[in-house]
Amino acid sequence: MKRLAIAALLLATVLVQVTWAPRITVAGAFPNLALVAVIAITWTAGVRQGMAWACLAGLMLDLTADGPLGPHAVALLAGAYLTGFWVRNLDRETLLHPVVAAAASTAVYSAVLVLADDLLGLPVPPPAIAIQLVVAASVYNAALMPIVLGVVRKLHSPVTRRPEPV
Amino acid sequence: MLLLAMVSEQTWAAGARGAVKSTLAPLEAAMTRLAGNVDRVTAVFGDVSTLRAENQRLTAADQALRRQVVELNAAAKENATLRQALDFERSYGHHMVAAQIVGRGPDGFSRTLEIDHGTADGVRPGMIVTTGAGLVGRVQEAGPHGAIVQTLADPQSRVNVFLSKSGLQGTVTGGPAALQLEIEHALGVSASSGEWALTSGVGGGYPRGLVVGELASITHLDSSTSDPALVAWVNDPAAISLVLVITDFVPS
Repeated sequence: MKRLAIAALLLATVLVQVTWAPRITVAGAFPNLALVAVIAITWTAGVRQGMAWACLAGLMLDLTADGPLGPHAVALLAGAYLTGFWVRNLDRETLLHPVVAAAASTAVYSAVLVLADDLLGLPVPPPAIAIQLVVAASVYNAALMPIVLGVVRKLHSPVTRRPEPV
Repeated sequence: MLLLAMVSEQTWAAGARGAVKSTLAPLEAAMTRLAGNVDRVTAVFGDVSTLRAENQRLTAADQALRRQVVELNAAAKENATLRQALDFERSYGHHMVAAQIVGRGPDGFSRTLEIDHGTADGVRPGMIVTTGAGLVGRVQEAGPHGAIVQTLADPQSRVNVFLSKSGLQGTVTGGPAALQLEIEHALGVSASSGEWALTSGVGGGYPRGLVVGELASITHLDSSTSDPALVAWVNDPAAISLVLVITDFVPS
């Protein structure tokens, strides 16, 4: 039931991303809500769950993009893996960590997406434009991360918190 | 995932890929309608605070419009000649299918739109997409009930254009902020801001005479064979909701 709810939430996030998000473009970039949601899930629930949801969200994004199915899923998996690696090696968490992790994961996601497109023989943007877009998207996603992380933690905590043994 | 990507990329899988992609189109259409309703509701709150500023702006605009009416009267004769020369009849004489935009590309690298008409409605990859204002782009992929359109803002987009007054030719490419134009030099002629860029038909990719945008700024480079310029696109991709697909123009 919980998994179905998360899947529905991710579907809604993807739909919002392809209908609303492009309206709030800054410096040519708009927020990647699916990526931020996957990073927040990975940060909260761990790398295994994060990568599973990254796969699903990526396929949903591929359904709305031109080209073959898979590049967005591969790119989201890479972003989720980096976040998982980050959170696993963390001694003490501050708000800065997920924010910087979101920026770094956005950069990795974008690099893998461009690389996957290039490998598949699909057109890729010129390097100067790609770098400009990646920097803008990283800043944008990092700014959104605290809000999305707060929402995901709120949704996650009541279900996963088990009662203390008497 | 990479295997899936490689398999779904094959030409024989294009039909199945298009059909699978069409499954999300109704949900995107519903979300787009919801977005429109939410926009209308939130606009009410913003309206009150912006009315005063709007009033001042309209007063200034009224004065500017009075001046423009005088200028337009003078330009009317020139405009009629231009219209004939650019052969607008040919560009608007094509058969078109109206389609609603139900979604936009999920990442910033490819500026695409998703429309609610596909192969079942006669929409095929390669067809040209416009609005009443001018050129939007080209159909990249088509499923049975949806299609993905590569817009002019896409960094991969290339359109050959000519300028309405100087007649100079160039190529418009997409960009994250504005359309980039490289204008080829010609002896004794120079381009100036305010000129309209229209598709030239060179290369056979687009029909001649479709409006692309207005020349916003130009940098004259004597040492180069072309001048870089910025074009203000007639279509705002974030604002358009309805497009026309030209179904009887075959790009060469």
